[in-house]
Amino acid sequence: MNLTQLKIFERVDYTGEFLIMRDAAQKRIETLLRKNQSLPFSLSNQIVFYAGPTKSSNNRVAIGPTTSERMDRYLKMLFELGVIATVGKGKRTEMARELCRQYRRLYFVAPSGAAAALSEHLRKLEIIAFEDLGPEAVYRVQVENFPLIVATDFDGNDIFSVGSYRF
Amino acid sequence: MKIAIVDAKRLEEKLIQQLQRVNTTANDFVTNQVHAYEGPFSDVLKRNITVAQQTGLPLCQDTGMVEFFVFAGYNIVFSEPLEEILNNAVKKVYSSNPFRYSVVSEPLYERKNTHDNTPAIVHLFHTRREDVEVRFLVKGGGSENLTKLFMASPSANVHEIIELVVNHIKEHGAKGCPPLNVGIGMGGSADKAVVLSKLALTKSFDETNEDSRYAQLEDEIYQRLNELKIGFQGLFVGPTVYSVHVEYAPTHIANLPIAVSVDCYLCRKGVVRIEPHATQDL
Repeated sequence: MNLTQLKIFERVDYTGEFLIMRDAAQKRIETLLRKNQSLPFSLSNQIVFYAGPTKSSNNRVAIGPTTSERMDRYLKMLFELGVIATVGKGKRTEMARELCRQYRRLYFVAPSGAAAALSEHLRKLEIIAFEDLGPEAVYRVQVENFPLIVATDFDGNDIFSVGSYRF
Repeated sequence: MKIAIVDAKRLEEKLIQQLQRVNTTANDFVTNQVHAYEGPFSDVLKRNITVAQQTGLPLCQDTGMVEFFVFAGYNIVFSEPLEEILNNAVKKVYSSNPFRYSVVSEPLYERKNTHDNTPAIVHLFHTRREDVEVRFLVKGGGSENLTKLFMASPSANVHEIIELVVNHIKEHGAKGCPPLNVGIGMGGSADKAVVLSKLALTKSFDETNEDSRYAQLEDEIYQRLNELKIGFQGLFVGPTVYSVHVEYAPTHIANLPIAVSVDCYLCRKGVVRIEPHATQDL
């Protein structure tokens, strides 16, 4: 996937890896950095998926995006740590769009409220840090043909600012 | 006077069955709406209903903090404390299914997960009915974050109130997984209005307010919200709201509380009714 060429509204069925984290994990990362402590994993060249999975059944978990806007306060930190794209749901703040443009990073939306269907696209899921946070721990997951739509592209174009049908 | 007794175990069993059902089976209304939708991610949303049904995985990974509304006859007693019955049902459903524990024990400092999705939120209403009706909402945190309370001026007119609601949904509706159900609580005190807005969400899709003026208001807000073209997933295609319901109550001469609550496109809600199994003379 060549991220630089993707444009808003484009549907991408992504095969590769995500790092899964949400509010509590990012808050902890921020705290560790403030104390000048090292992180237990690298975020360099990673795509971060804002989500928290369910418990598993027959080795399957349900998963889906959470509201990205809540994560905007940590977006600069993620980009500074080398994150190349984020995945979540919904419109973000003006600040987040500006950060995407400035750092040349992408924001994708994933289907929300479709966790059972998305379970079919997960391959290997493992906890890599902050296990005590339960569903808010950091996970690494391999995905196959995971459905995404480009919401903010490298130039800071944003589907929620366009505000109309363009598919 | 007679005291009527409701059996805790029977109520718990009924709740367990319904809590599991709403998390894994889309209701007929939602299924029809999703099947009629052709737009961004429509393939995934349709597939989701089938996969959840077949696998027992939940429709949404956010299996909610469960909120109960219990309407009980004034002479009814439960064979165990009501909150324990409700929490036991939640605990059993969420620990035996591939659902998510989404509740933390304290809001600000540690935010430690309770690891069984309890406690639930419980509202109790004493009535003159002879049985017990438990309504519940399984609503995600994303839609809950869209709850809004306006302490409007008591002299505000209908149009000002409509604008408050429309502007709120216009700004934030896309974050609540639309098409939304919108519950509006009017009057009472600040806290009462918020509870009324939640109660409004427990109504069935086609129910309209008994007062024709409020029914007309529901319809007008419904039309206005659908003109916003927020659409499924907030991606501009399909309806913005499924339904708008208003619940109102008497209020203070200086107040006009207006509370708005929303539920997501999956509308995971249910109703359980139970008759007392025994009566006893006092």
